[in-house]
Amino acid sequence: MSSSAMEAEETADLLCQLDNVQGIVDALSAVRWKRHQDAVIEVSEHGIVLIVEDSGCLQAKVYLQRELFIRYDYSARGRPRFGVGLGLFVDCLSTFSVPGHSNIIEIRYPGPDMQLLLKSIDSLNACIYAEIRTRIPETISWDYDFEPAGSSPLSFTVRSAALKEAIDDLEWPGSGVQITLQPAPPSVMFKGEGHGDLQIEFMYYANTDLLVAFHCDHAVSHRYKYKFLRATTSNLPSNVTKDNRGSKLTIGRGGMLKVQHLVSVARSSATHQHNASGYQQPSRIAYVEFFVKPEVDGDDA
Amino acid sequence: MKFKAFLTDNGVALLEKRFLPALDKIDKTCHLYLTRDHAVFLHNLLNGDGLQSVAQFRIEALFDGYRISSQNDDRIAFAIDLSLLHRAIRSSVGICNELATAADGGSASERLQIKLVKKLPANSTQPMPFLTFETKGYKSAVIQDVPISKPMSRAQVSELQAALDSAQALPKTLVQVHDLNQLQSFVDRMRHVGDVLNVSISKHGDLHLQISTTLITLGAEFRNLPVLGERAEAPAEDRGLSAQARSERAVARGDAEAVQVSVKHFAKSLQCHMTRPDCAFYGIEEHSACLTVIFQFFILGTRQTDKSISLHCRLPVLDPGTN
Repeated sequence: MSSSAMEAEETADLLCQLDNVQGIVDALSAVRWKRHQDAVIEVSEHGIVLIVEDSGCLQAKVYLQRELFIRYDYSARGRPRFGVGLGLFVDCLSTFSVPGHSNIIEIRYPGPDMQLLLKSIDSLNACIYAEIRTRIPETISWDYDFEPAGSSPLSFTVRSAALKEAIDDLEWPGSGVQITLQPAPPSVMFKGEGHGDLQIEFMYYANTDLLVAFHCDHAVSHRYKYKFLRATTSNLPSNVTKDNRGSKLTIGRGGMLKVQHLVSVARSSATHQHNASGYQQPSRIAYVEFFVKPEVDGDDA
Repeated sequence: MKFKAFLTDNGVALLEKRFLPALDKIDKTCHLYLTRDHAVFLHNLLNGDGLQSVAQFRIEALFDGYRISSQNDDRIAFAIDLSLLHRAIRSSVGICNELATAADGGSASERLQIKLVKKLPANSTQPMPFLTFETKGYKSAVIQDVPISKPMSRAQVSELQAALDSAQALPKTLVQVHDLNQLQSFVDRMRHVGDVLNVSISKHGDLHLQISTTLITLGAEFRNLPVLGERAEAPAEDRGLSAQARSERAVARGDAEAVQVSVKHFAKSLQCHMTRPDCAFYGIEEHSACLTVIFQFFILGTRQTDKSISLHCRLPVLDPGTN
């Protein structure tokens, strides 16, 4: 038996171990915006990427770089991809996270029946394990290629908590939200129109604590569906707002909106150690990105 | 039919903070069965398919000046709403404490009286039975009436007693779990994944829980737990196996039993954790009749079992054919 176990270990495309399950659960939860979501997981020598998509208009990616893992053995040719139910995967992972315990889990792919295998390895006398059935991923329309809109970037960075609050407030008018960037005076405006209208404006010079960075050389304006915009912040883990992090929004060619969040995956014990400036090793961060396509008739209004 | 007693400080501490909140989570209503020696709270003993629980107290653990009489061998049983009972005790205790501080010291005992009464409720012509809590102060008294069912008939009481007797059957092998917190947090999270829990318990001291659906198999294995009753040495060749294979082999050898129970029942039984037991024993009754969980309480500050309190749950086994 042990020899066949060894064999399985050798033939696995991926064998990794991580010591902060809750951090990964937080990062993956950030892209949960509805009950049933199919996710595609892509494994490479750099780490694990999880991709979810909705109605051809919204895509989200979570990057779990190999630095987040305490062990990362990758031995596949090509980049294995497989589909899992996101909700099931996150619920299953969170089973491994015992509050107040440091828990080390091992993830292995593929199992004998192409399953994703998880097991806790921190205790001899108690073991939690899971086998998640994977699917052959559906072909995703890969036209989310994000290209810059011009020679200089159109982007701004806003405190994640403020962004979430603004988007939550825009629920009232519903329907669509117009995002306008203008260089003079440098500002960003969110305008919701539907049952009524609501404008939320971030002035760069007036709110430097909220709007931390701003790059824009010409005015630009695009409309996005509210439900997609809401998905980008609806499930932000609390540590993002608590750590006072910023979210970066960039408008690319054709009005494609990219929203980037940083989610801390620090071990609970390590959070006490980080210094007063709130600096954390970049390796302990999971990157979460959303791509939102604009509404077609709203271009450059 | 008469019942009258004073609830002691210890009784208040047991019921208000520990047992009533836990029992309320199992099911809102339960039977309270009073005999000369015991007060027993019973859930679902008479109707088959729910989670059964039996919390039994020696009279001295709860009451002072206990007086009971009935034509049925001094036994009285009725159904009661636990949340109402809990509220009545909580507020009586509040009043008691206020009075105690006002009248320099003293304890709740001799002040919090419980009795069985029949009263004519407002807008009614029929007298109804109540459990009345009377909190006596210096010059005033606060009375709270908790409605109860009509006391059970002689036949019903003997049926209840028979069910209680048969619920005392012990599994041949029991494994001891100390870290109920860990089990609880695991099962809380597991609940999202499926409805049916496979439980296997071996004579080697392994407790294996598993939920399996078409999409996922999720399990937990707790090994080398202390065993009570029949035990057996685990074969060395099983050591390197996966949890699943190990429990399958133990079942095939006859060293383990496996049953399926509802995840909901299992999670509810873990609510008994709120009674602050010192440990719990898990076992499967003969012929896979049910999964039994026995909670053990120590006398404060010792490792000796407090025999005046007992609590156990029985989880009905699901028929593998029906799900």
